[in-house]
Amino acid sequence: MTTLITKTVSKACVPIIILFSVSLLFAGHDLPGGGFIGGVMFASAISLLYVAFGLKYIDSIYSYQWDKWFGTGLLLASLTGFGAMLFGYNFLRSLYMLVNLPLAGDVKLLSTTLFDIGVYLVVIGSLLYVFKGTGEDE
Amino acid sequence: MAGILPAAEKVLKKRIGWYAAAIALMSLLLVAQAVPSVVNGENIQGSVPWLPSLGIELSFYGDGLSIMFGLIVSGVGILIMAYSNEYMSKREDLSRYYRQLLMFMGSMLGMVFSSNIIQLFIFWELTSITSFMLIGYWRNRPMSVYGATKSLLITASGGIFMLAGFLVLNIITGTFDIATVLQNESMIETIKGHEFFLFALVLILIGAAAKSAQGPFYIWLPNAMEAPTPVSAFLHSATMVKAGIYLVARIHPLFSGTDAWFILVSGLGIITMLAAGFLAFRQTDIKGILAYSTISQLAYMMAMYGYTTYQYPGIGVAAATFHLLNHATFKACLFLVAGIVAHETATRDITKMGGLRKDMPVTFIIGSIAALAMAGVPPLNGFLSKEMFYESSLEMGHLLGGPLEYLIPAAAVLGGVFTFAYSIRFIDGIFLGKRRSEHLPKHMHEPSLIMLVPPAFLAILVILIGLFPSVAVQYIIEPAASGILLQEVHLHVSLWHGFTAALMMTIITFIAGIALYTKYDAIAAWQDRMNARYPWFSINYAYDRIVNGAQGKSSAFAAVMQPGPVKPYLVALLLLFLVLGAIPAMLVATTLVPADLNFNVPPYEGILLGLIVLAALGTAILRKYLHAILAVSAVGYLISLVFIYLQAPDLAMTQILVETLFTIIFLLVILKIPQTFRENLTRSVLARDLLISSAVGITVLVLLLNATQGIASPFESISYYFIENSVPLARGHNMVNVILVDFRGYDTLGEIVVICLAGLGVYNLIKSRSDSK
Repeated sequence: MTTLITKTVSKACVPIIILFSVSLLFAGHDLPGGGFIGGVMFASAISLLYVAFGLKYIDSIYSYQWDKWFGTGLLLASLTGFGAMLFGYNFLRSLYMLVNLPLAGDVKLLSTTLFDIGVYLVVIGSLLYVFKGTGEDE
Repeated sequence: MAGILPAAEKVLKKRIGWYAAAIALMSLLLVAQAVPSVVNGENIQGSVPWLPSLGIELSFYGDGLSIMFGLIVSGVGILIMAYSNEYMSKREDLSRYYRQLLMFMGSMLGMVFSSNIIQLFIFWELTSITSFMLIGYWRNRPMSVYGATKSLLITASGGIFMLAGFLVLNIITGTFDIATVLQNESMIETIKGHEFFLFALVLILIGAAAKSAQGPFYIWLPNAMEAPTPVSAFLHSATMVKAGIYLVARIHPLFSGTDAWFILVSGLGIITMLAAGFLAFRQTDIKGILAYSTISQLAYMMAMYGYTTYQYPGIGVAAATFHLLNHATFKACLFLVAGIVAHETATRDITKMGGLRKDMPVTFIIGSIAALAMAGVPPLNGFLSKEMFYESSLEMGHLLGGPLEYLIPAAAVLGGVFTFAYSIRFIDGIFLGKRRSEHLPKHMHEPSLIMLVPPAFLAILVILIGLFPSVAVQYIIEPAASGILLQEVHLHVSLWHGFTAALMMTIITFIAGIALYTKYDAIAAWQDRMNARYPWFSINYAYDRIVNGAQGKSSAFAAVMQPGPVKPYLVALLLLFLVLGAIPAMLVATTLVPADLNFNVPPYEGILLGLIVLAALGTAILRKYLHAILAVSAVGYLISLVFIYLQAPDLAMTQILVETLFTIIFLLVILKIPQTFRENLTRSVLARDLLISSAVGITVLVLLLNATQGIASPFESISYYFIENSVPLARGHNMVNVILVDFRGYDTLGEIVVICLAGLGVYNLIKSRSDSK
């Protein structure tokens, strides 16, 4: 269905896209990006693989259970809410910390980033779940 | 106190039953640790803000009552978990079983230590849900599923009434915190005098009655016996069903001492006690007997908690509280014995049993002790609390005077007679006499120690509390009763009071009970005749009618509301938009079209606009799916260009990505559907569609033209708040993201839940369609 060029290029591109989606996720608090876009970007990467190779190929590199992804995401997002309560703050109160990491320099650590990761996982999980549903039994 | 919950929940993943028992032991120790301070009259409190804007906190409160429940829940929990090690076959999904049991225990503990009533409600419903899962533990048995559904429908909907009652209570008092209300006498006075008093009371009582299987709501409990027996022992005798009783005790100080309280609570209790006692007598399933007897025993407590007058608000409180503790011991023990018997004989039909005492002497002794305690035979603990029940009934009758002076004690005795009769039947039917059936396996034997020790332990407790009541009374009952009555309570409980009226009543009970038991066959035959003749004369019948009817009704409703094709929904949505958007906009409009319109469009904007219009027209006109889909995506991509042009990279990126994905998914979908497209439109339909769409189009145009001029935004924009606060409050420079995860995180949480559900829904819809092919 697709040419060798498409296949080769997408193989090269997919890891880059995924990396980019992760960077979008973490950049989200200050720059354009965030959990939702990052998640959709990730899903697009997978769908690129699908267009180039078909579902069987994706299955062969990762036997996916996307429902688990969104379960985990939902859990993570809700736990960040309750996490704040453990420290005596109200629900979903966010925490802010500036940390100096060896390579990256000063890094902002926000508890909302965890929440965003939850969103990211949910988006990836549910989009690809639908995707799998529609693309299966071909 | 808050430590209990995370401690119990942290370990849900672990598998082994002993591990679960250890968790229960840990909670028991945690609760027990609080006993001394509560005995000294100090209550334990602690809270964490949760939804501060609504005044809802995660707050915990432990008084004598909570501690007593905590002890029962975790104490019986240990025994149940240990017992289950042997009872549950190793092939079962044990992880799920213990996880749910522990979850249940956690929610039960959370409930009794809740100080905030909204939190109490949440834990309350959690117990309903976990109980639903446990009753339906054997998922592929239709009766389990039926019983589970029934219990969830009844207890959870009762809970919703209760929530409404709590909200009414909140309107009256202005707080959600129980401890605050309990410590504030003027607030209690306000409640009792308030015009909504009865309203709140009835609503809350519906919840309590549904949970404790009182009145017409009892029907779920017998069906809940489909659960594994340890579950029945834990949930349906010792703990969950007592949640309703707990609630009655908890709100006792707020509502008691009024006529309404006495009539509603005691009335409900007495009627249920008699009806359930009568029905229990007739059951042939041993767990059925226990189920109905639980209902009637809980009704005792209801009746006693209802015994109040203006002068003496707590006549039955101590007796009820004592009975609550005793019932937990002997009934859990009876269930465990029933579990052993069913395990060994492979049947639960009492008519097939008999004579088991030779094969299982130890079980026989344990079971008899528990059953005799239930029957109220001295020197067991059931005797003590039953005496107190009779005493308080006499006292209540005496205080009321009139015909009630005799009616209340008489009802109490009648309830006792039934109890005595079915208790005796339990012993006689299973263990005494001769073998009645050849169906039983030949070589029955005592179960292993793991199954024997928990009921034996309970039986020993039954005897110990009976012989030496003072320990239990001093450390558990007195603090609990003080917690309910809000004053120091001192009790004198002993086996021998002399020849009191209550003792006379007990003797009458025994004689009448034996007489009733000898008439068993006649009564059973009469009940059978009644059932055969009037099948509709039962609440179960009504329940089945309603539930089955609801399925038909809802599918009829769905057929009207959801005919299938997308078009009607679209029409409805657009019309709604017109009604909700266009009409209000016109009402506040000063001018529909602003005067100073600028038609000076730069050429690249013009080209972009032209392309969008072209693509949009294409979606409407093109006659093949593939072409139409491509046109739709073209619209999407062009709009993302607009976003880029307007310097909104976030939106543009989202738009491009979503568009890409959806184009692919669309293309996947069209492979699966018939390729014929565009039904033949008649002229009138076409005209109608055109009319609606152009009306919507014009509305949007006008709204957009006015977006900056006032009619579309009569209110001040809230965006300034976010512009000003996103960096100082949330330390993020991307405002969209800050709004999503910081300011409106709760919304986002809801949204991602919706995304998950939508994903599941779409997947299953497609799956079911391709499966049915």
